[in-house]
Amino acid sequence: MTISSYWQIDTAAEPRRAEPSLRPRLPALVRDRRRPSQNRFDYYAQLAQAAAQTGFDGVFLPYRRDADESRIVAAVVARAAPRIVVVPEFPASVGSAVYAAKQATTFQRSTGGRFGWAIAPDADAATRAAEGDDIGDDALHERTDEFLTVARGVHDRRPFTFEGRHFEVKDGGFDAPLNRLPFPKLFLQGEDEEALALSARHADVHLFRAAPAERLAALIARLEGLAAAAGRRVASGLIQPVLVRETEEEARQEAARGAAGEGALVGSFDGVAADLTRLADLGISHFVLSSTPSLEEGYRVGQHLLPRLHSLTGARRAVA
Amino acid sequence: MSIDFYWRLPTHGCHSSIHRGSYDRGDWSPPGPHNIAPGFGRDQEEDGFAYIDHLAEIAKAAESVGFLGGLIPSFPNTDDPWVISPLLARETKSFRFMIAFQPGFGNPVHTARATASLQRATGGRTLFNIITGGGGPAQLWWGDSFAHDDRYGRTSEWLDVFRGVWSGEGFSYKGRFYQVDGAGLPALLREEEFPELWFSGSSEAALQVASKHADYYLSWLEPFDQLTDKFAKVKERTAALGGEQKCAVRVDLVARPTEEEAWRDIRIGFENVTDATRNQWRGQATDSVGAARQAALRPTEARRYEDLIVAPNLWGGFNLLRGGPALGIVGSYEQCAARLDELIQRGADGFILAGTPHLEEAWRIGEEVLPLLGRNASSLLQAAE
Repeated sequence: MTISSYWQIDTAAEPRRAEPSLRPRLPALVRDRRRPSQNRFDYYAQLAQAAAQTGFDGVFLPYRRDADESRIVAAVVARAAPRIVVVPEFPASVGSAVYAAKQATTFQRSTGGRFGWAIAPDADAATRAAEGDDIGDDALHERTDEFLTVARGVHDRRPFTFEGRHFEVKDGGFDAPLNRLPFPKLFLQGEDEEALALSARHADVHLFRAAPAERLAALIARLEGLAAAAGRRVASGLIQPVLVRETEEEARQEAARGAAGEGALVGSFDGVAADLTRLADLGISHFVLSSTPSLEEGYRVGQHLLPRLHSLTGARRAVA
Repeated sequence: MSIDFYWRLPTHGCHSSIHRGSYDRGDWSPPGPHNIAPGFGRDQEEDGFAYIDHLAEIAKAAESVGFLGGLIPSFPNTDDPWVISPLLARETKSFRFMIAFQPGFGNPVHTARATASLQRATGGRTLFNIITGGGGPAQLWWGDSFAHDDRYGRTSEWLDVFRGVWSGEGFSYKGRFYQVDGAGLPALLREEEFPELWFSGSSEAALQVASKHADYYLSWLEPFDQLTDKFAKVKERTAALGGEQKCAVRVDLVARPTEEEAWRDIRIGFENVTDATRNQWRGQATDSVGAARQAALRPTEARRYEDLIVAPNLWGGFNLLRGGPALGIVGSYEQCAARLDELIQRGADGFILAGTPHLEEAWRIGEEVLPLLGRNASSLLQAAE
């Protein structure tokens, strides 16, 4: 199995970085000619370029309601960084499924097919009310299901007609050249049965959260069973914070300062590469890795961890 | 007083000449030796470019010659302005991205957040042309089944929410179409300037919404007296509400060194119009009032290009040569500038200009026509000050 690695660009992490208006002014003796238009978008572009240069296959942009919008950032960084796949996460509550699918075609056409779609978990009721999203808890999965059915439907078929409870299209569907490139690789999430069933029907990759090995193995088996029943294959992925250093001791010291994200794998380059390889053995083929500060840690992971991971998983493949 | 001039990005491919209707720029036509389709090299193999690279050329040309930015249209078979704008954000300097947008495309709270992010990505270069949509089958294609007057009601509410979210924390709203409870932008995004709103639509329902929400009321070019009345009516209505309405015209130009050359190009283009094109433009179903006002010109029935000259330098057959409105301006550089000046005198405060091919004509109109503007209007403008 080939391993794909994504670096996470979190628009809400390190909120003061590259945002001059949120930092103390430099002392007067430092001649400062920065312009007000300089902000984190420069940093996002740097992060994507760093991921491209250090050997990641892509970047993953979680949906953050309190920070920059993931799809805007995705387009900016895709143009700035060659080669890598760009996967913004967004919720099925953004609006028209036809429109979202149409935006995806432009993204695919403009980047040579380097776009992915990750559907974000649904927000709680209060957040939905603040977003003008008038839908009950019990209809959320159904809406995502319809959203994805319509989005893929208008991309793949013309004419496409659909009458659901949340979306309606008549004689729709894209013409050439809009659908010349495939629909973006689709990433879904969630650990409950409904989420796995939704992935079995729609997803290319199902992203799990970090969990003990037995639990992950059970979830993967369940997902693969449901997918097989639907006549499909769904790859498994993992959103996995890491904190790596040359030695395990350094990594532990760093973690003691509070640098490790929740559920992070903390250890030496070799140790964490071995941990990730064990996860790959369970069936995980897509790793979304994260650590802050994102630029420095991205370089570290790209330069020291990824080659070890590819070497170990490649050796397994050779044996198999 | 100054007037805003925008260009237009062709998001549906482009023609290399006004002489022929074939879309021979971009991949809307099958790749071939006579097409420039970025992405396909001479041997028709993928070359690493994409249509966005052609759009980048046009945007950079437009900003170089002094256009403020460009309208980025959104139709079923176009590339999408919400994606084009952030893609081109970092390689343009002053180009403002005018996103054509229908409220049915997106939730207003999400759209406000995305807009504020785009403002941050572009240094405040985002604005909108709000379109409510022509109705009919096209609207159902988009997955939008609202009836005409309902759609304007929704547009008005959508804009209420979009603006309300921007202006503060804890914004709540109870409308027919949108209910929002305690919405707001995150602190950093709230710092951004609210985008300018241009607004299109010719029906009574549209004019009402424009008076309430629009910075610029945008119309396709119509015969000058008709347009003057329309602008006067909109300005009067907004003034009655205590506001000031700016108006703008979206118009194509064929500007050449001499008038003879300009008409010659129109004649060749007209003679090359195929029956298929005429039939395509005949009787398309729509409940758009603006489209009906243009259709009254009946260009598809004309036998000679001269039949479509509706006034000096005004030709009503542009929709036979390319998609879009029928009426446009044809003439020498001086004449084109004079007609634009006349429109300014008749109430236009802004323009979206276009010409085919969009890249070369951005240079030509920017270098040859824009510098001639204001000669004819100056006496009137001075009188107004």
